[in-house]
Amino acid sequence: MIKPIYIHGKGGISIQPTTEPDYFFDSILPYTQNPIPARDPDYKALIPPLQLRRMNKSMRMAIFTSQLALREANRTTIDAVITGSGLGCLRDSERFVESLLADEGQSLNPTPFIQSTHNMAAAAIALALKCNGYNMTYVNNANSFESALLDGMVYLSEHPDHTILLGAVDELGERTTEFWNIAEYLKQDRPAIPTPLAAAANTPGEIAAEGSTFFVASRQSGPSAAGKVIAVETSLETSPVSFVNQFLQKNELNTGAIDAVLLGYNGDSRYDGIYRGISQALFTGVPCVGFKHILGEYDTVIAAAMALALQLLREQRIPAALQLSGPPPKELTRLLIYTQRRGMNHGLILIER
Amino acid sequence: MSMPGPIAITGMGAISAIGEDVPSNYRSLRISRHGIGPIRQLDTPHRGRLLVGEINMSNEELVEQLGIPSGEAYTRSTLLALLAATEATIGIDLTDGSRTGLISATTVGGMDATERYYEDYLTSETHRHYIPTHPCGYSTEQMARYLGVTDFVTTISTACSSAANAIMLGARMIKGGLLDRAIVGGTDCLSRFTINGFNSLMIYTDGHCRPFDEHRNGLNLGEAAAYLVLERAELVRRQTKTPLAYLSGYGHANDAFHQTASSEDGDGAYLAMKHALEVAQLDASAISYVNAHGTATPNNDLAEGQALLRIFGTPESIPPFSSTKAFTGHTLAAAGAIEAVFSILALQHQEVFANLNFSQPITVLGIVPQTTRLSTEINHVLSNSFGFGGNCSSLLFSSAHD
Repeated sequence: MIKPIYIHGKGGISIQPTTEPDYFFDSILPYTQNPIPARDPDYKALIPPLQLRRMNKSMRMAIFTSQLALREANRTTIDAVITGSGLGCLRDSERFVESLLADEGQSLNPTPFIQSTHNMAAAAIALALKCNGYNMTYVNNANSFESALLDGMVYLSEHPDHTILLGAVDELGERTTEFWNIAEYLKQDRPAIPTPLAAAANTPGEIAAEGSTFFVASRQSGPSAAGKVIAVETSLETSPVSFVNQFLQKNELNTGAIDAVLLGYNGDSRYDGIYRGISQALFTGVPCVGFKHILGEYDTVIAAAMALALQLLREQRIPAALQLSGPPPKELTRLLIYTQRRGMNHGLILIER
Repeated sequence: MSMPGPIAITGMGAISAIGEDVPSNYRSLRISRHGIGPIRQLDTPHRGRLLVGEINMSNEELVEQLGIPSGEAYTRSTLLALLAATEATIGIDLTDGSRTGLISATTVGGMDATERYYEDYLTSETHRHYIPTHPCGYSTEQMARYLGVTDFVTTISTACSSAANAIMLGARMIKGGLLDRAIVGGTDCLSRFTINGFNSLMIYTDGHCRPFDEHRNGLNLGEAAAYLVLERAELVRRQTKTPLAYLSGYGHANDAFHQTASSEDGDGAYLAMKHALEVAQLDASAISYVNAHGTATPNNDLAEGQALLRIFGTPESIPPFSSTKAFTGHTLAAAGAIEAVFSILALQHQEVFANLNFSQPITVLGIVPQTTRLSTEINHVLSNSFGFGGNCSSLLFSSAHD
């Protein structure tokens, strides 16, 4: 059976300064645009310049954040790399489509084709670490990281002595953003970070962002462990309240056992009601924490929420900009993350101290 | 902890350039009839220049056969996948209360629609309902709805080993107690993106691919979809069903050598096969047939050949092996699944399928694939799939008579 896994290190790139040491959302960078690119750290600090030049943004972000996670866990080697990405290396995909539409039949530059492959970030990490171990990439829309996390838990049940890198990366693409705009996924009316979440302020659409988050995980606890992942579950389409309820029952918990719930409110008037419904039905009187109104929306943003949950456990407080409702927290020992995207791809992660 | 039993395979479905279902694929394999020819369906300037393994059905014909209401947006990879998955699940009650998952692999996803309507979407409303089909996950989600799978759905994309990895995850989730049944496999249609991509890598043969031949000079691309139904073996026994075969082992490793090329010693391939044997608790000598990855590129076949020599010891001790890529072309994310079906057919019919177009062994290896159909006792089959990013997987299928 699947056992809890401990997280020993984490690293994250997002639209907030999450790469800065000790950053804990006490100051929030505001934006009034859509989409919002992730903040580029000084990649050269952790990636040799020659390699860096050839890497697309997903590969850079993934290598950089996996290095941050390894540093925090005080490790240089790893037994497996498991990643999730909703859309893979979008910019290179777009570049290659554009070059073939312009010059099909001619000899095209192969680099964007090679680097458009969805598993390139996981492969780049394996290459950088010379890791011959298990290497997997999930591309399941807004449940991609959850699949990677589940596989990581299965893998560590099979290999209880191993230590693995688990992570997620998603990048923005210019043309893809235009397509998502046409499909009315994105917020057109006064997009802002922090995104106003009050029901009255809501307008349709998401704020598109990007980012990468990586974790070092194993079955061993130990002083470096920031917390443990107890369970993860997904559902393509479901009735959200009963989905959460059944998950808690399966883990033999009642709602009172949850010290804070992280909900994926993103200011999209069409779908935020799902979170309100869960909050009202199950978690009245429980501190409610938001993250997408600060980090934007992308397929694997739940990985950033998991990093945040681990920080909450360590700091034992909720930054004012993140707490959406409920009383101030007492002790934070057990946190639940729930998110969905456009009414589908429901995901749950249960974290403990 | 008791040893978990092997995983039973209780259904399979396939569509490729050599047949629109499993029986027709088998007929072609049996009479060594390949499916490589000029491009007929895909609209590209490479028509007339390249030989590929294309499925000779239009998207409209596929939609009609599946009974999908016209006007709904399904891309070609998904249509092929639905045909294969429908065949795989015939006679299996997906609503019997067993926890059922769908794990599908694709690299193309909805790219064929995106490349077709890349400019059109911006100016015309006609095809905009195809916009959401772009992500790989969308294809699997459409499959899940069509098949009625709700317990678990995910998508894997690890280049040319994707389907083997989907099959492996299904087995691991069943063994781990997370699922009772998994529909696993992969799909990739031909697209201008992949046709031009592999062209930019200068990796195509000028004719028909010649796996494991000294003068091999590249691959033919193909399209296919194939799915297996995996079930917990005790569950199958309880229902007194006879499985088609067992999935007794699987192994995975990363070559960690280069973005696209394999290491000369085939480290990743070697480790993948070694792990598969370990999981099955079998000695290499128990293997009766290897369905090789064998893309017929100079690099792959050399690396894979070295890995085979490392696993089996000497050229003489390598069991009969063949690459079936000369039949179907290299079908990318579907390759591991279509070749899983071929491996199961080899077990069911006790025959090794031919490695076509071979004339001269690779000098430095001295290994000779099986070049004609061979009837022989087959108990265990290894099936290899390797992909970009050093992603190497090997599956081990065993006869249902064990």
